[in-house]
Amino acid sequence: MISTRIRGRRLAGVLVAAAAATTLLLSGCTAGDAGDAGGDAASGPLLTIPREDMGTFSQNFNPFSPNAAPMTQQAIYESMIIYNPADGSTTPWLAESWEASDDGLSLTFHLRDGVKWSDGEPFSAKDVATTFGLQQKIVEGSFPYVSKVEAADDATVVFTFSEPFSPGLFEVGQQVIVPDHIWADQENPDKFENETPVGTGPYTEVSKFQAQSFELLPNPEYWQQDKQNLPGVRMLAFAGNDGANLAAINGDVDWAPQFMPDIQKTYVDRDPEHRHYWFPPTGAMINWQLNTTKPMFEDPQVRKALSLAVDREQVVKVGMSGYTEPADCSGLSGSYSTWKDESLLGSCDWIGHDPEKAGEMLDEAGFEAGADGKRTTPDGEPFAFKISVGSTSTDWLSVANIISQDLADIGVTATVDAPDWAAVTAAYEQGTFDTGIVWSDNAPTPYQYYRSLMSSETLKPVGEQTFSNYHRFSDPQADELLDRFSAASDETAQHEIVDQLQALYSEVAPVVPLFPGPEWGAYTDTRFTGWPTEDDPYATLATRSPTTVLVLTSLQPVD
Amino acid sequence: MRFIMRRLGFYLVAFWLSITLNFLLPRLMPGDPVSRMLSRSQGQLDPSQIDSLRRLLGVDERPWWQQYPEYLWRVLTGDLGISISRFPTPVTDVIGTQLPWTLLLGFTSLILAVIIGNLLGIIAAWRRGSFLDSFVPPFLVFLGSFPYFWLAMGLLYVFGIALGWAPLSHAFSVGLEPSFSPVFLSDVAAHLVLPALSIVFVSVGGWMLAMRNTMIGTNSEDYILMAEAKGLHPSRIMFAYSARNAMLPAVTNIGMSIGFIVGGALLTEVVFAYPGVGYQLMAAVQGLDYPLMQGMFLTITGAVLLANFLIDIIYVRLDPRVRVS
Repeated sequence: MISTRIRGRRLAGVLVAAAAATTLLLSGCTAGDAGDAGGDAASGPLLTIPREDMGTFSQNFNPFSPNAAPMTQQAIYESMIIYNPADGSTTPWLAESWEASDDGLSLTFHLRDGVKWSDGEPFSAKDVATTFGLQQKIVEGSFPYVSKVEAADDATVVFTFSEPFSPGLFEVGQQVIVPDHIWADQENPDKFENETPVGTGPYTEVSKFQAQSFELLPNPEYWQQDKQNLPGVRMLAFAGNDGANLAAINGDVDWAPQFMPDIQKTYVDRDPEHRHYWFPPTGAMINWQLNTTKPMFEDPQVRKALSLAVDREQVVKVGMSGYTEPADCSGLSGSYSTWKDESLLGSCDWIGHDPEKAGEMLDEAGFEAGADGKRTTPDGEPFAFKISVGSTSTDWLSVANIISQDLADIGVTATVDAPDWAAVTAAYEQGTFDTGIVWSDNAPTPYQYYRSLMSSETLKPVGEQTFSNYHRFSDPQADELLDRFSAASDETAQHEIVDQLQALYSEVAPVVPLFPGPEWGAYTDTRFTGWPTEDDPYATLATRSPTTVLVLTSLQPVD
Repeated sequence: MRFIMRRLGFYLVAFWLSITLNFLLPRLMPGDPVSRMLSRSQGQLDPSQIDSLRRLLGVDERPWWQQYPEYLWRVLTGDLGISISRFPTPVTDVIGTQLPWTLLLGFTSLILAVIIGNLLGIIAAWRRGSFLDSFVPPFLVFLGSFPYFWLAMGLLYVFGIALGWAPLSHAFSVGLEPSFSPVFLSDVAAHLVLPALSIVFVSVGGWMLAMRNTMIGTNSEDYILMAEAKGLHPSRIMFAYSARNAMLPAVTNIGMSIGFIVGGALLTEVVFAYPGVGYQLMAAVQGLDYPLMQGMFLTITGAVLLANFLIDIIYVRLDPRVRVS
């Protein structure tokens, strides 16, 4: 008996030791990472932001890495210019001005004077040249039109293009710049974790790095000291929207960029005086794409008829909780509001909800209804197909269900097919799907959107993997217009071409545009003020966009 | 000794089988890591860069029979490679920063559930027909039939949001620095209460029932009658005679549970934003991050096999019949 008791005690001892060892391990692996905490408690609370899709953080501040820690490209590194989709404006940032040559083959940036890296070294044109060299080395095929980047002098960078490509201004201008004196010597810049980054941004000093949170404290050498008013930025890791939403509802975070269902009731109504949200429709256009290699979707009239059958008001209200607005026939999202041709939008005839006309158009195209009210294709097959959407996207899933019901009203059988996103995208990439709900390109100019939907350059045959133009459509007229756009350096000429592209898009209906993706964003001004709003859209409320630094340099702590 | 060697051989074969499955299963899923990343970024990445991104991330496009020997060798040498979804962080770093939290949560809840459940089971079997025996097991089974994340959300709502007694998320208060100070340790403990309780509530019923049922069997053995006849103290009979002999199935269960702890309590960790491996594992599977997935499955397999092996050895000690057969 005695021996049992001793053994029992020994077991308990082992358990206690195991627990102690675990705790030891925990603190052992994290204590070393803690940076200089300083007296930040004295200077007030940090701006706290949740990250809803990272359960834990890794200390990787390499801006070339697709999985860098959040805020790497927003608070630590900066770009030469910043484009704001909310009002269509461009802000000179590390560059003060820029100009393109008349032939469109060179682009010159004049850099700002007096900018320093956070270690005190001066920022110069050499840093820009090194950055582009690295980007092209790490990810081959990036900036394919840039053949040479040269530092003409300390404050001037000249980009030489292999072909005129006017949309390149924003792509080149928004690349974040890294310091030459740190990165030039890196043997494997792609595998460099860059744990203590040196940047030009407002908040560069990493502190208290943990798997669940980290802090960025002010850059001591920042070039706009008057705009650097926060004691620091703190990121929190959450493995999903629910946890991040809870933190926002509870008031633990200042900024909430993630999707929140019924935001007015769950978030704003708890403190209506301080809490606000703003969802500008500046995300990518969400399209319902019809696989144009399938005979039943070849005819633009059929695509337009299906578009007319969709009740977009209902789609937006029910499917998207009213967080966005219906698309128009230019297919352009809210970030291109300055590009839209108002006269075209007035004469749209295939976007509004009109099931009767949709039925007539289908009759005309030979898709007539049989005795049971179900339509058949001209070949006599039933007009039935699938709408693919990933099962995890619950909002898009309800959009697909609404479309399916709308189509049933005009005798078209559309079944919603919702497997895992992986299976859905595999079918998109191979071109084997019928129809599906898909995002689209969202760049500073409409060029990329139209190129990915109508250009023969992006067109791949069925069975060959592609990553844009899933619906496999091209139009020679679009090719010509797109070429002219990329060669045009003059903005008036570009607008004229985009007007023609819109008209063409509206004529051929390559996809059925549904609604622009909203840019989620909510905040509380109990601790910080100066947020962008609908009345002052100097940026969006996104925390992963180039405009985020504009918010970080505008916020003021509340006294 | 021969017994242990034979078991060891069996475990080696099991280990080889499981690492082979680890290798094959992810590759049977459709798509590849880069196209997954692309579809998640929803138009933010440029399609023209896909190929070089694939090369950059080290996505291996050779047929599987060429990758397989290399994979075996790397597993044996402990090189788990670089995570794709966390590029360029090595897999061992990703797992290393999260595993301790998972172990802390898993062991705390397992130990609590085992101790409480077995004690309740022992007492219930000893006092058959009492309140503890007739009402507590059905109640615990009822509790145990809840999905544990549902219970987690309920606890979080009641104690975290409505009453404000417990912290809502993370493993310790944000802004604290890990150390051995009482402040930090008590903060960790406070953050551990709700997640651990949500797991204990669900699992304790199983432990109690199993213990109670085995113990009812041992209670009717002749040696118990004999002990009673000798006039031994009831508590001594209960623990040293009856419970000790009813312990064997529980030991097996503990061994199996220890192995599975390493996989993380996915949904509990997600609900409480606990920085463990559970969510990472799910993210790795969804993102087809082969190196990370393999690393995690390897850790789990290793832990399950190791725990089973330890239990086998303990069995030899606890149960003489094993030694003989």
